[in-house]
Amino acid sequence: MSEGFTEWLRSRSDEQLRVLAMSRPELITPVPANVPGLAARAGTPSAIGRALDRLDGFTLAVAETLVVFPPAELSKAIHRATNDAPGTDEAIDRALAVLTEMALADDARGLAPGVKEALDPPAGLGQPAAHVFRNDQPVAVKLANPRSVRKLLDQVGPQARAALDELAWGPPSGRVPNARREISVETAQSPIEQLLARGLLGAIGDDTVTLPREVGLVLRHDRLHRDLSPVPPPLVGATRRAGLAARTAAGQAFSFVRAVEELCEIWSVDAPGVLRTGGLAIRDLRRAAQQLDVPEWSAALVIEVAHAAGLVATGGPADAEWLPTPAYDAWRARQTEDRWETVARAWLTLDRVPGLAGARDDRDRLLNVLHPDLRRGAAAEIRRRVLSVVAATDLAPSQESVLARLTWERPRRRGAHLARMTEFALREAEIIGLTGLGVMSPHGRAVLTGVKAAGLLAPLLPEPVDHVVLQADLTAVAPGPLTGELDRWLGMAADIESKGGATVYRFAESSIRRVLDAGQSAEEVLAMLARHSATPVPQPLAYLVSDVARRHGRLRVGSASAYLRCDDPAVLDELLADRRAGVLRMRRLAPTVLVSKASRATMLDSLRAMGYAPVAESLEGDVLITRADARRTETPPARQVNGLFAPEAEVVTAAIRALRAGDAALLSRPTPLGEPGGALPRTPATATISALQDAIRQGSRVWIGYLDSQGQATSRILEPARIEGGYLTAYDETRAAIHRFVLHRITGVADVN
Amino acid sequence: MNDGPLIVQSDKTLLLEVDHERADECRRAIAPFAELERAPEHVHTYRITPLALWNARAAGHDAEQVIDALIGFSRYPVPHALLVDVAETMARYGRLRLEKHPVHGLALTSTDRAVLEEVLRAKKVQPMIGERLDADTVAVHPSERGNIKQLLLKLGWPAEDMAGYVDGEAHPIALTEEGWTLRPYQKEAADAFWYGGSGVVVLPCGAGKTIVGAAAMAHAQATTLILVTNTVSVHQWKTELMKRTSLTEDEIGEYTGTKKEIRPVTIATYQVMTAKRGGVYRHLELFDARDWGLVVYDEVHLLPAPIFRMTADLQARRRVGLTATLVREDGREGDVFSLIGPKRYDAPWKEMENQGYIAPADCVEVRVTLRDDERLTYAMADTDERYRFAATTPSKVRVTEALVKKHAGEQVLVIGQYIDQLDELGEHLNAPVIKGETKVKERERLFQAFRDKELQVLVVSKVANFSIDLPEAAVAIQVSGTFGSRQEEAQRLGRVLRPKADGGGARFYSVVSRDTVDQDFAAHRQRFLAEQGYAYQIIDADDILT
Repeated sequence: MSEGFTEWLRSRSDEQLRVLAMSRPELITPVPANVPGLAARAGTPSAIGRALDRLDGFTLAVAETLVVFPPAELSKAIHRATNDAPGTDEAIDRALAVLTEMALADDARGLAPGVKEALDPPAGLGQPAAHVFRNDQPVAVKLANPRSVRKLLDQVGPQARAALDELAWGPPSGRVPNARREISVETAQSPIEQLLARGLLGAIGDDTVTLPREVGLVLRHDRLHRDLSPVPPPLVGATRRAGLAARTAAGQAFSFVRAVEELCEIWSVDAPGVLRTGGLAIRDLRRAAQQLDVPEWSAALVIEVAHAAGLVATGGPADAEWLPTPAYDAWRARQTEDRWETVARAWLTLDRVPGLAGARDDRDRLLNVLHPDLRRGAAAEIRRRVLSVVAATDLAPSQESVLARLTWERPRRRGAHLARMTEFALREAEIIGLTGLGVMSPHGRAVLTGVKAAGLLAPLLPEPVDHVVLQADLTAVAPGPLTGELDRWLGMAADIESKGGATVYRFAESSIRRVLDAGQSAEEVLAMLARHSATPVPQPLAYLVSDVARRHGRLRVGSASAYLRCDDPAVLDELLADRRAGVLRMRRLAPTVLVSKASRATMLDSLRAMGYAPVAESLEGDVLITRADARRTETPPARQVNGLFAPEAEVVTAAIRALRAGDAALLSRPTPLGEPGGALPRTPATATISALQDAIRQGSRVWIGYLDSQGQATSRILEPARIEGGYLTAYDETRAAIHRFVLHRITGVADVN
Repeated sequence: MNDGPLIVQSDKTLLLEVDHERADECRRAIAPFAELERAPEHVHTYRITPLALWNARAAGHDAEQVIDALIGFSRYPVPHALLVDVAETMARYGRLRLEKHPVHGLALTSTDRAVLEEVLRAKKVQPMIGERLDADTVAVHPSERGNIKQLLLKLGWPAEDMAGYVDGEAHPIALTEEGWTLRPYQKEAADAFWYGGSGVVVLPCGAGKTIVGAAAMAHAQATTLILVTNTVSVHQWKTELMKRTSLTEDEIGEYTGTKKEIRPVTIATYQVMTAKRGGVYRHLELFDARDWGLVVYDEVHLLPAPIFRMTADLQARRRVGLTATLVREDGREGDVFSLIGPKRYDAPWKEMENQGYIAPADCVEVRVTLRDDERLTYAMADTDERYRFAATTPSKVRVTEALVKKHAGEQVLVIGQYIDQLDELGEHLNAPVIKGETKVKERERLFQAFRDKELQVLVVSKVANFSIDLPEAAVAIQVSGTFGSRQEEAQRLGRVLRPKADGGGARFYSVVSRDTVDQDFAAHRQRFLAEQGYAYQIIDADDILT
């Protein structure tokens, strides 16, 4: 490892090191013992690769230029590549600042160790002539001079020149059979032979030739990059009326929250199973899509987001079912805007890709919703980047221009994967309602920047209504979201036929029976309808309610002995005569009572199938109220571990301090610090804590006595970082690592010196 | 918050609040691209279907107009996915066009090469096309004009037919507006058809579809083939044409099971056209018997499948379809669109009723309670016997008698399905019965007597359901009928919807057995009628009998 780079790193201020750690968090996890350790880690290919991955297109181009040209020529070279575009100088300064900040280059524009190798070959150039012709030094020497290269180029024919132009902007290598043949300028026949003979192409394998770097540069007229832009590509797209876009987003937000709620309600009573390998079966996804009346990918999103927000989890016997969690009940009780904020945030930080559900992986296995296979480490980061790009404009940016911008921001991270993730993120943002008509909404922006969004969304949401429009075709139209009580009551008394801004309900015999089963009388039902209808209750609806009520409960079914009684003996005559009742094996007990050997449930079902409306009766003769029970899972939802964005500032500060301490130790003592002699320090507990707090404030080192987990008394030299929850976090110089110490096991503190 | 009259649902239905001040304006804006599905008293439901959108395209509307109308009238934000879908669907119409070609007769051209490639790769398209003329054009066998349109619609790329029509053999036909005039909507409908080329006119029963047909013939001024559902209908058309146009009896031919006249204007039944002998259609030559300039299809929603096939070969002739509803129980709406043509005119029932062109009707369902012994028999009956038993309970006879008595002095039709029951009713009511075996002559004599008010009560079976004209039937009582099919209900209602001289309201009773399958069928009927916006109420038989 280069001493110079280590020294340069050491000379950086604490603040500069902190910025370095923030931009390259992998360098301090775990914290290196000292500055040489940091330098070594910063120089590993993987660390450099990750740092380069974070550079935008222009900064990367600056780094590549530094690989090829000496630092003094940087500005000129970049100006050539950008065609002197305005803003080039400022952009170069910015790029250099970033490179220095990330310790990829030092203040003197010297690239850090390992960067050059990581960038090889830079900008699609071939290998240097000295490497290509390492067995033929004269050629290499000749190529080093651009003038002689130009001369050689003038000697070859147009076909050969065309072949070179093909390779000029990379990839620099091509396949030629028998590349290592012996040729001289005189014997050269084909265009390729002309080039090989002059060293304009060099063989680097038995059938591979490459364009030497020097030749490539001449062909590129000394421009390392084509059409390099100092500014990011512009975002293009449609303009939308701001109010309309925000309203559309709010409309989507409303529908999405409703879809989540509906899913949980459905799963409350009809929970789908957990697959043996985890996740949800594809047929359950299809069913959910059908029930929610949305496309499958949209249903997958609803399910994944509900799960990420902790609203559904595995539960039931042996954790074999997907059930709503107790958190769902708390969520449901909140306002729509708050509910939306919860699910929107859950989506934003979700480290899974719902869009992949239903697709097949590399091994042709079906990817299931909620299955661990949908996890992608980069998902949350890419999603956030996509949304940040959309948030940067008032337009509805096209998918292509968003992708172009993302590619410019992180050129080393492009690919088909990015394109798909971008597509998913954009369409999901629209469905969830962060964007409306493709434009970032105010509430979406708030979620993205981490400020409270609910207040911005609330005024855009449709106001709840407390009435419905009743019609003679037995429908009820709720011209907006209903208030809670009415919503639940109608959900029971009628079947939902169509959803959207409004809800269309249909009353049917079965739905009226449901509400009667739940213990309401016909009068109560009619009163409820009259109370919430702007117009009189239509006669056919009133008739339907009374007609169902007339028959409802006329038959009463007992449980243990399964009896059937009815005030009207004719009904029982009729029932006994009915062939379909044969399976119930009924016997007449009294003119108005029948008994059966069938179970009560079977009786109820069969009688209903025959068109009667019996009710269950308890042993005391009371009518039993039946209603499907909503179920909940007991297990608390697993917390999602979200992708690493930036480490906490406090942790970074502690790490830098530890690093400095370690480095100080390294510089002052050639050997690791030994334990000071003498008795272990002993101080009262309060004095211990205050001494440690002083040390944290001053950043000084202390010597402590410590009982380890086996009860052995030991002593350490520490640099304390913070005290929290009964623990001391500190850099342990004796062991050169950060440790956590249990406060009550610290027997005493003393100054080191 | 926008306060529009329209709510756009995510399932592509549109809810229109009729009492809203902008409701009329909104209705006019959305009617071109959305089919009215339900029209109960407060909120009307329209549905956006691909066919409806393509109808709108054929009528010259573009996606922008549709989207503007949706956004402009909508109370809540319109789901983005729906807007995208509308734009995409509408963009599919007209990418392909059928045009005349000087050499090959007919050619399929495209403004979008990828679409042309896509459809040409379809296996079923290949036998219909000839050589590739250039990158965007391919020859089509002229005989396949109908089939290829049908197929392209199925592939989701409906072709616009720009190939024009033959004029046909000229024949002077004029409307004789003596003592009557063409109503404004009838004129609009005939004009809309004529300028559109070919297509379907949707008008409610009793709105004078025959006259629209006559007006279309007056536009064409050419020999005309009229296809109708049955023989009675043939006579009706003939009478009507003689009354409304300059045509004389000699110019109008009847082509039925008994008569085979081919004249400048020929009226044929679907039945005779689809009659087969030895596996072949025997009367196909009728289509080529003359150089027809216009083909009229009455009751397009009942057009039988073989007629569709024959129509596929008639694409060079102008075609007009007349119907009360585009809904086909067999779901072949797409074939109507591609073979007859797009919808050219549509008027909502309610509006015409408000203008006094059709009589308002009150619908009353009378529930009869079965006697205890009847219930016992019902419970024991086999499943397939149950309906008949419930529908023909003797209790219904008493109720019907009471109803007839209640409406004494008015023209009453009693409609039923079961001959025994009708005969019994005829006896009790002392009224003649028209059933399948009644001779056409006798049938017409009875109808005329009913029209002339010599007869007050007439009992008819199913045969009377289609295309007969019984003015002045103020009351209809249905005692039995199958399965509550939507068409049948439309027809039945049509019986009593004819405008009456005194402008009085019509009554439509259905007598139903309580707690039986009969009541289940009645539920369908109730839903249909309420959806059409008719007042509907349910009463108990006891209220009538006492």
